[in-house]
Amino acid sequence: MSEYPETPTWQPPFVMDAVTFGFDRKETAVQTPVLKNVSLTIESGEVLGILGPNGSGKSTLLKVLMRILIPQQGRIELFGQSHVAFPQAEISRRVAFVPQETQQAFPFTISEMVLMGRYPHHNRTWGLGWEGSRDRAVAMQAMRDMDVAHLGVRLITNLSGGERQRAVIARALAQEPEILLLDEPTAFLDLHHQLEIARIIRRLNRERGLTVVLVSHDLNLASQYCDRLLLLREGEIVVMGSPEEVIAGESLERVYGCPVLVDRHPQSGRPRVTLPV
Amino acid sequence: MASVTSPSGKSYAGGPSAVPAPALLTRPESFPLAEGSRPVPAVATLSPMKWLGVSGGLGTLALLVFVACLGFGTETISFANVTALLAQGPFAAGETQAAPHYIILWQVRVPRVLLAFMVGGSLAAVGASLQALLRNPLADPYVIGISSGAALGAAVAVLFGIGLSILGLSVLPFYAFLGALLALLIVYRIAVSYGSFSIHTLLLGGVVLNAIFSALILFLTTLADPYKASGMYAWLMGSLTGPDFPTVLVLAVYLLLGVAVLVSQASALNLLTLGEEAARSLGVEVERVKRVLFAAAALLTGSVVAFSGLIGFVGLIVPHAVRLVFGADHRLLLIASGMIGGIFLMLADTVARTLLSPTEIPVGVVTALVGGPVFLYLLVRQRRRVVA
Repeated sequence: MSEYPETPTWQPPFVMDAVTFGFDRKETAVQTPVLKNVSLTIESGEVLGILGPNGSGKSTLLKVLMRILIPQQGRIELFGQSHVAFPQAEISRRVAFVPQETQQAFPFTISEMVLMGRYPHHNRTWGLGWEGSRDRAVAMQAMRDMDVAHLGVRLITNLSGGERQRAVIARALAQEPEILLLDEPTAFLDLHHQLEIARIIRRLNRERGLTVVLVSHDLNLASQYCDRLLLLREGEIVVMGSPEEVIAGESLERVYGCPVLVDRHPQSGRPRVTLPV
Repeated sequence: MASVTSPSGKSYAGGPSAVPAPALLTRPESFPLAEGSRPVPAVATLSPMKWLGVSGGLGTLALLVFVACLGFGTETISFANVTALLAQGPFAAGETQAAPHYIILWQVRVPRVLLAFMVGGSLAAVGASLQALLRNPLADPYVIGISSGAALGAAVAVLFGIGLSILGLSVLPFYAFLGALLALLIVYRIAVSYGSFSIHTLLLGGVVLNAIFSALILFLTTLADPYKASGMYAWLMGSLTGPDFPTVLVLAVYLLLGVAVLVSQASALNLLTLGEEAARSLGVEVERVKRVLFAAAALLTGSVVAFSGLIGFVGLIVPHAVRLVFGADHRLLLIASGMIGGIFLMLADTVARTLLSPTEIPVGVVTALVGGPVFLYLLVRQRRRVVA
């Protein structure tokens, strides 16, 4: 058992209370918000999928949780404590974010990239922030978990999309987070890699109790792999609940503005979406 | 297992301002290491040993090049003679002090080669930092207009003769600093206004900015008297001519300060290459780091331009070459670029003052003739990579 006391289970990882965010300058931002009065609780150990049409505020919601963007109104609590009071590094030690795209113009090796995940754990009061043996061990395990350990000396600029995505998730794992936020983790990947990433995320959630919040355009993948789904439209929560409640309900047609056919996945029995002819 | 007595967060619901900065000490070991975990092999990353070895090696090389460059010039001094004269120190008394070689060496060449080293090193370090900050491998203080901004600042001060010295110290670097900062903020604004940083937008913005600043400088120069104007032209082409020791020492203070600040932000620069959002998600206080980097880059560019005018492409080709050889980690990249930039400019200046001796070529001409083609090559290659 660890020497640390356990995080009280009655403190959910995230609570959002009437959060409103807009990209414009302060006065007008609230009038044209990207997120409108969003309130939700993210439970410990769940996989929450965020769905919605383009421009519905899915990615913005993740960035607000990561405090990349700071909402104009409302309150966010991270493990019961106000989000705004933390130094950025303190958040990064508990929450990791995998962006939709990673571009890198400079020839870093995969190992260097993954070790960047150790940045929030460094003491940088002086010196150049050299990684210690624990940093290297954690990064190596993260690389093995994501099956990129053998790519350690390769350059990030020379990887395929799937390899790069796995390396970025490894970097997120190197942060030793309790919550993993993923922005379209399977976009741009072929079927094989989609399945691989989805299974890895599922496994991390089951084996390590990692709380996962993922944004996806892929309704079926989300239905398969998420415990709960949240449907956004124009920055507002339309419905939040189990895949049955969200996918099978009529809200999906309303939000996407087109008719859909919903049946059951032959193996899992989860709801499955197809478009009518 | 220790127990937790109360859910601490719930006790203060009085809004963000009422909350003292909390430290989440109740952190579980959420990521236990497996038995027999292996660390990341050092070969794939930068290790302190490699850092020491490369910095030390390049430092030694810089020292050798420094001594070698002292021998060349209109009057050639043999290597043995150079080392013998250097060994006597700058304050030798009696006959040696009056010897022509001693005077040439200590009063002309040492300050000048030292200046070349410091200017080249600073430009390369600034170039490497700007490349990370703007996520653009083709960024260079000269190419994107920062140097022109600094030159405009200095030109305004010189031509209007406003407050040129305080307590006997030249405040030209201060005006150049302001000009560089202005240019940097404009360039940054251009770079971010396209959402993601586009390589070509930035270069285009730099070209236009360069044109505007140059036009303003030329306009100001035509207003000035001919004597001042001709000095101005020589300075604009980049020149390391005739520094005295006190000047070089004052510059050294500015430049050491600026480079130290850049190096202190090296790990943050590594993360900034991932993009500002990703850097923030990894715990970098992006806004603070950016302010520090802007200030340091403007200080370095401003001081360098105030003393030696417009010297281009050092900040572009040197970091690029260093990355290919030593990797992209800024903790080493900044130091190695500084050393190699210094070496490069010492050599370029030696060529500039010996090739058509006794006439001098402006050193900016030499660096542009070497660096310009390299820049074009990189630009074409960059484009191919985007297409492929």
